[in-house]
Amino acid sequence: MRYDCIIIGAGVAGLTAGIRCAKEGLHTAIISSGMSALHFSSGSIDLLGYRDNAVVYKPFEAIDQLTGTIAQHPYTKCGKPLIIEALLFFKQECEQQGLFLFDNGNLNHFHVTTLGTLKPTYFSQRSVFNEDVYSRFKAMKKIVIINFEGYRDFHPQLAAAQLSKHSLFANCEIVAKQIEMPQLQDDGKYPHEFRSIDIARIFEKEANIEKIADLIRLAAKDADFVVMPAVMGITNFNQIHNKLQSRTRLLVYEVPTLPPSILGMRIDNALKSRFAELGGVYIAGDKVVRADITDDVVNAIYTNSHPENPMEAQCYILSTGSFFSGGLVSEFDNMYEPIFKLKLHHEPERNKWYNQNFFHRDSHAFLQYGVLTDESLRPYDSNNNIIQNLYCSGAIMAHYNPIKEGCGSGVAISTGYKAAGQIINLLKRMS
Amino acid sequence: MIKLENISFDHCIKCTVCTIYCPVARVTHLYPGPKQSGPDTERLRIKNPELLDVSLKYCSNCKRCEIACPSDVKIADIIQTAKWRYSKKELRIRDFLLSRTDLMGTFGTLFSAIVNFFTHLGMVKYFLDVIFKIPSGRTFPNYASGTFTKWFKSVRKYQDNYADKVIYFHGCYVNYNYPQLGKDVVKVVNALGKGVIITKEKCCGVPLIANGYIKKAQSHGRHNIKVLSSALPDDKTKIVSASSSCTLALKHEYPNLLELDNSPIINNITYITQFILEEFEKGNILRLKPLSYTVAYHSPCHLERMGSAAFTIELLRKIPALTVKILHSECCGISGTYGFKNEYYGISQSVGNELFRIIDEAKPDFVVTDCETCKWQIEMNTKYKVIHPISLLAEAIE
Ligand SMILES: Cc1cc2nc3c(=O)[nH]c(=O)nc-3n(C[C@H](O)[C@H](O)[C@H](O)COP(=O)(O)OP(=O)(O)OC[C@H]3O[C@@H](n4cnc5c(N)ncnc54)[C@H](O)[C@@H]3O)c2cc1C
Ligand code: SF4
Ligand code: SF4
Repeated sequence: MRYDCIIIGAGVAGLTAGIRCAKEGLHTAIISSGMSALHFSSGSIDLLGYRDNAVVYKPFEAIDQLTGTIAQHPYTKCGKPLIIEALLFFKQECEQQGLFLFDNGNLNHFHVTTLGTLKPTYFSQRSVFNEDVYSRFKAMKKIVIINFEGYRDFHPQLAAAQLSKHSLFANCEIVAKQIEMPQLQDDGKYPHEFRSIDIARIFEKEANIEKIADLIRLAAKDADFVVMPAVMGITNFNQIHNKLQSRTRLLVYEVPTLPPSILGMRIDNALKSRFAELGGVYIAGDKVVRADITDDVVNAIYTNSHPENPMEAQCYILSTGSFFSGGLVSEFDNMYEPIFKLKLHHEPERNKWYNQNFFHRDSHAFLQYGVLTDESLRPYDSNNNIIQNLYCSGAIMAHYNPIKEGCGSGVAISTGYKAAGQIINLLKRMS
Repeated sequence: MIKLENISFDHCIKCTVCTIYCPVARVTHLYPGPKQSGPDTERLRIKNPELLDVSLKYCSNCKRCEIACPSDVKIADIIQTAKWRYSKKELRIRDFLLSRTDLMGTFGTLFSAIVNFFTHLGMVKYFLDVIFKIPSGRTFPNYASGTFTKWFKSVRKYQDNYADKVIYFHGCYVNYNYPQLGKDVVKVVNALGKGVIITKEKCCGVPLIANGYIKKAQSHGRHNIKVLSSALPDDKTKIVSASSSCTLALKHEYPNLLELDNSPIINNITYITQFILEEFEKGNILRLKPLSYTVAYHSPCHLERMGSAAFTIELLRKIPALTVKILHSECCGISGTYGFKNEYYGISQSVGNELFRIIDEAKPDFVVTDCETCKWQIEMNTKYKVIHPISLLAEAIE
C-alpha cells in the first residue's frame, strides 16, 4: 500500500510524529510490532533532569548550555525553540483526549518513585503533579502511603523510609498502611497474579470507588496527603481521581509502579486514539523486517506478515527505539540496526559497552549508542551516504543517554516532532 | 526434545503487557492470562507434562496477546500447542460436531429448512444446552439451502473468458451458511477482469485446532496445501480468501502451529481486501458508485494479527460517499466455536460487551466486519445488521 509517510515504531517518538503528520493531512501509517517503552515508564515526561551528575532545576537553561557544547546531541539538532514548540504540541494533543499534563513553567518538578526517591521531570499527570500538590507540599505534616493487600510490586514501608530521609520531609510524619481490598471481583476470586493492571480494573468499576474511598479515608483520615501506587484506571482516571479526592476529602497522589505502568498506558492510549481520530492508519503486531533502497532512497519496506508485499511511502520515519525494543540489536561481538543496516555510533569492543558497576552514576556506554544522523535527522547507510527520505527519532538515536541525562521522552517528542516537520516541508515543496 | 525455534517463551521479559490486552483475563479471574498460561508455565510443562494447568483451556486463541508483546513471544501458539500436546483429550460429541464444520455443513445445507427450524426452536435449544453443553442463549447461524460450490458450477464456464485467474479459498461459512458472500467475491474479482478458480478445499482447520483435533487439522492442512499449490498456474497468481480466520490459518497456523510446510503457497495467499487494493494501485481500478451509508467498522482479531485490518479500512475509504467510523479495536468475544460452549458463554458475552457498547454509541446504519463469527456475535447482541466489506463493494460496483 502507498502512503505519504510510514512511521516504524509506535512509542512516544513515532506517535508524536504520526499525530503531527496526520494533522497536516498527510496519509500516514504507523506500524509497530509490540507495545512501547511507555508500558514500563513512569508516565512522566523527562526533559533534562541531570547534567554532569547534578540535578537540573532549570531545564531550558541547561538545554541552552548543552546545545552550545555537544554538537551531536539530538537536542542540538532540534534547537531550543523547536523543543519548546514540540512540548506544547504534545501537551495540547494529549489534552484533546482528556489527558492533562502539568508542568512547573520553566522549572522541573519532582515525582516520587516506587522506591521513595525523588526524580526530576518536566510533565506529569494531574494525579502526580498539579498546583495543589505544589502549594501544599511545603506545609504538610503527615503523609500516609497506602498499598493494597496482595500487591507485591509496591512496598510502602520502603518508600516511606526512603522519603523520610529527604530534607523536604524533615518535619513530616510518613506512615505506611495496608488496605485490604474487599472481595470486589466479579467472580469473588482474587486473580492468580495481583499486578497493577488487576487493581486498575477494580478501580475502573464505578461501583467499587466509594468502597475503596471509604477504606482509604479510614486508613488516612488525619493525613495531608495520601500516596498510593498508580492504579487509578487507564481510561476514566480523571473521574476516579476526582471521586476519590472528593469522597476522602484528601489529596490523593499516585506513584509509578513496577511494570505494567498504568500511568504510561494512559499516554499510550491517548496518543493512539488521537492518531486514529486524525485519520491515521495504525498497524499493530507486524514487524518491519527489511527495506528496498536504491540510490539512497527508500522505495518500500516489508513486514513479517507480508514478506512479499511492499509498503510504500514518499518518506519514512524510523522510531523503533533502542536495544530493549529491538530497534537496535546486539550480538556477542557486534551490534546493528536490523531494518536498514544504518551506520551506528558504538565501540567495537564488547567490554566497553557497559559499566562493571551496574548502578554506576555514569550509567552504561551502550545507552549512548545508536544511529548517526545529519542535522535534519536523516541517517547514514553503511557506505556513509545519507538516505534521502528516511528520518530518525527517539531512542534509536545516538549521542545521548536517556538514563544519565533524564531526557528520554523529551528527546523522543522533540525528534519525532522535528522528523514530521521535515517531511511536511519536503512534501509541500514537492507538490 | 524442544525444537530450537520453539523457545520463544525464553524471550519473555515478564512485563505482563500481554495479560493487559487479553480480553479473557480482563473479564474473568478463572483465567490467569497469557503470561502465566503461556511462557511462565511452558517451562514447567516441558519439565513435566503433569504440571499442566487446566485453566489454559479458557484461552480463546484471539491472539491479541501476541500483538501486544514487545518481545515477540508466540504466546497464543504456545498455549494452543500445550492444549493438545499435554492435555488428555476426552472426546466430546459437542466439540466433535462444532469442529466438523464441513461435515455439519454438508448435512445442514442438505436439510437446511429442517435444521434451521430446529436450531431456532426453544425446546431443541434446551436439549443442546443440557446434553451438548451448548448455551441456549446463543443464536445459531442459518444453513443455506444450497452450497456455494453448487452455485459456482453454474458460472464456472464463464470464468474461462478471463485470461488472468485468481484462486478463491471460500471456506466452510461461505459454502454452507452464506453463499451470497462467495457470489459477491466472484462478482468483484470478475469486475477486476479476472476469472475465479475454486479447488476441492477442506475446512481450513481453525475450528479443529480450537477443539484440539490437531491430527485432523494437520491432514486438512496438508490436503489444502496440495490442492491449492497444484491449482496455481504460475507463482504470480493469488490465492484469495474473504475470511480473516481462514487466511490466518493458511498463512500462519499451518507453519507455526501445525508444523506444516506451506512454502509452496505462502507468498500467494492474500486477504481479499489487500488483493483488491493492490490491483487498484496497479491502475486496475473499479468504478464505484456512491453509497451514502454510515458504517461502523470492526476489525476482527485474526485480521489484526496479520496486520491486514488497514487494507480493509483503506478499501472502504475508496467507496464514494461512504462514511466509515473505525471502532476502537476490541474482541467481540465469540472467537469461533468458543462462544458456542456453555462453559465459555458468559465469558464470551462479557468480553464482547465493550464492543457492543461502542457500536451502539456509533449509531451506524450497519456494521462492517471481515469475520463470519464476529458477524454472528454482533448481530445477536446489537440491533445492527453486519455486512462483509466485499458485499458492500459488490453493491457499489456499477
Ligand atoms: C524501561 C524504561 C523506562 C523508561 N522510563 C522513562 C520515563 O519514565 N520517562 C521518560 O521520559 N523516559 C523514560 N524512558 C526512556 C524512553 O526510552 C523514552 O522516554 C521513550 O519512551 C522512547 O520512545 P521511542 O518512541 O523512541 O521508543 P520505544 O518506546 O522503545 O518504541 C519503539 C517501538 O518500536 C517498535 N519496533 C521496534 N522494532 C520494530 C520493527 N522492526 N517493526 C515495527 N515496530 C518495531 C517496538 O515494538 C516499540 O513499540 C524509559 C525507557 C525504558 C526502556
Ligand atoms: S508481553 Fe511478552 S514479554 Fe511481556 S510478559 Fe507477555 S509474553 Fe512475556
Ligand atoms: S490468544 Fe487471546 S484469549 Fe488467548 S491468551 Fe492470548 S489474548 Fe488471551
